[in-house]
Amino acid sequence: MGSVKRISKELTELTESPPAGIRVELADESNVYEWKVHMEGPEGSPFHNGKFLIKLSLPTEYPFKPPTVSFATKIYHPNVTNDEKGSMCLGMLRADEWKPSSKIAAVLQFARQLLAEPMPDDAVEGRIAEQYKNDRVRYEEVAREWTRKYAC
Amino acid sequence: MNALSADEMERFQKLSNNYQPEIQGPLVSTKQSSHSIALDYSNADPTLATKTNALAITHPECRIMKGDGNCGWRAVAFGYFETLFALRDTLRIETEIRRMKSLTTLLERVGLSDSIYEIFVDATEEVLNRTHAAIQNGAQDESFLVEAFNEGYCSDAIITHFRILTSAWMKLNPNRYQAFLPMPLDQYCSTRIDPVKTEIDEVGLQALIDGVIEGSGFGVEILYLDRSEGDVVTPHQLSSDRPSGATIRLLYRPGHYDILYPVEHNLNMAPIVNLQYGMTSDYSPWDQASLGFDVNSSLMAIPNLMQDTSFGMGAPMSPMPSVSPTPASPFRMSPQQDMYQSPMPTHAPIPPIPVSPPPQIAPSSAPPPMTSLPSRSSDGPQIRLNPLVMKPNLSRSLPVTTPFKNSPYNQAHFQNSDFEPIHWEPHERR
Repeated sequence: MGSVKRISKELTELTESPPAGIRVELADESNVYEWKVHMEGPEGSPFHNGKFLIKLSLPTEYPFKPPTVSFATKIYHPNVTNDEKGSMCLGMLRADEWKPSSKIAAVLQFARQLLAEPMPDDAVEGRIAEQYKNDRVRYEEVAREWTRKYAC
Repeated sequence: MNALSADEMERFQKLSNNYQPEIQGPLVSTKQSSHSIALDYSNADPTLATKTNALAITHPECRIMKGDGNCGWRAVAFGYFETLFALRDTLRIETEIRRMKSLTTLLERVGLSDSIYEIFVDATEEVLNRTHAAIQNGAQDESFLVEAFNEGYCSDAIITHFRILTSAWMKLNPNRYQAFLPMPLDQYCSTRIDPVKTEIDEVGLQALIDGVIEGSGFGVEILYLDRSEGDVVTPHQLSSDRPSGATIRLLYRPGHYDILYPVEHNLNMAPIVNLQYGMTSDYSPWDQASLGFDVNSSLMAIPNLMQDTSFGMGAPMSPMPSVSPTPASPFRMSPQQDMYQSPMPTHAPIPPIPVSPPPQIAPSSAPPPMTSLPSRSSDGPQIRLNPLVMKPNLSRSLPVTTPFKNSPYNQAHFQNSDFEPIHWEPHERR
């Protein structure tokens, strides 16, 4: 199958030259569709010094359908659902905006960039988005607190 | 009254945003009668009804693409492979395989890496190889292509290949397209060309043809079905006319593309031609045996005899052998002959049958007079030939006989299961 061929190549590339603050591995060596991603909170964001575990699942139709990204580590962020799923679905990760020529590396860089710069207008957590827009200081306090509590 | 909390409202909004209607039907259909398109519009605007009825005559067959956002891309891609297959030229396919591989330089030049695009290029190459093999193996029809394009992975991969080539081509030739775009070209490519299931628009289609199809030497013609004035769909040639004459024809209805097949294509490709050839071939033993229909007036008097396909296929015949006066009759040599228990003793005296043609020979209707055909010598078989069905491109095969024309195996016969009356009434419903 072409999808396995492509996923394997992307995995090799990401392992050999990982993007800043990102490290990937397979959740289970026998299954290329489930990845564990270790992401460092970007500098200058309230997530700095936090280490977030992200689950990246590739559909069998990959690369014709986008990967799904979910935070296994609890995070206070307007674009990540504040539930046990911790899912993030926006921009290039949306099924109708997905390009088969996008790389997983680009997906992970996009996710890390989102930690530094949330997109409150595309929020899944409306309350956190409100706070991010109207009370940035309080938002950063809570986010930092959650990072200390769950991601260190 | 506020039964729904904000969270629930959000959840429903999300469900609603993500809702995608289930679209029925195959990704690429088999060839079908264009009358189905006319039927779709029979109760619609009269302009559309008139145009689709005219279309069903000029382009009797079509192939419907699934309306999943990829239809335009899929129609061009399928049309490309099908046209290549129809030419039955393996050298040309080898050239195309080389050309498709060489196009990857476009992808490299816009910064796509081999690990990203190779599976898409592989899919196109794989189907080109299958087309090559199909020609070598003498495949009857393009069903292997229909199968390939209905296989999700293969279909998606080829469409993606054509999309990324188009996108790269546009980025490398910005001056040609930018003026027609409502946004910067890079943004156009990343939002209108590259994402999965984005409909192709006019500019994208032109770029697809310029960048990917043009090099194959195939023309592309679009027939626009809209409510503009006129009795026929508006044709638009998207590429210069080709000496090869190979043209991919698309039907455009706002938001949707399908493939069309004009009359000539139909006659060259449709299996009905083979059937006619096959049926007339089966008559050849009569020729050798010099069986005269004229002599055999009793045979011709049997109602509906010629409507039975088993007649020409050597299946058991009923009382003919005993009626036939000529020992040379091929019916006597039929292998089933022995199994047949004649109701009459074979050697029973048979009243003499006049050798001259009886006045009323025709099975049901009088055939039109022969025109261009050389008249057969009187000792040859007197199969009646209908000049109306002597189409020029059928001339290499044997002509359609009047009995065939009058049989329900002829699609123009009202008893044929595929028979479609051309006539249409606005108030008529199926």
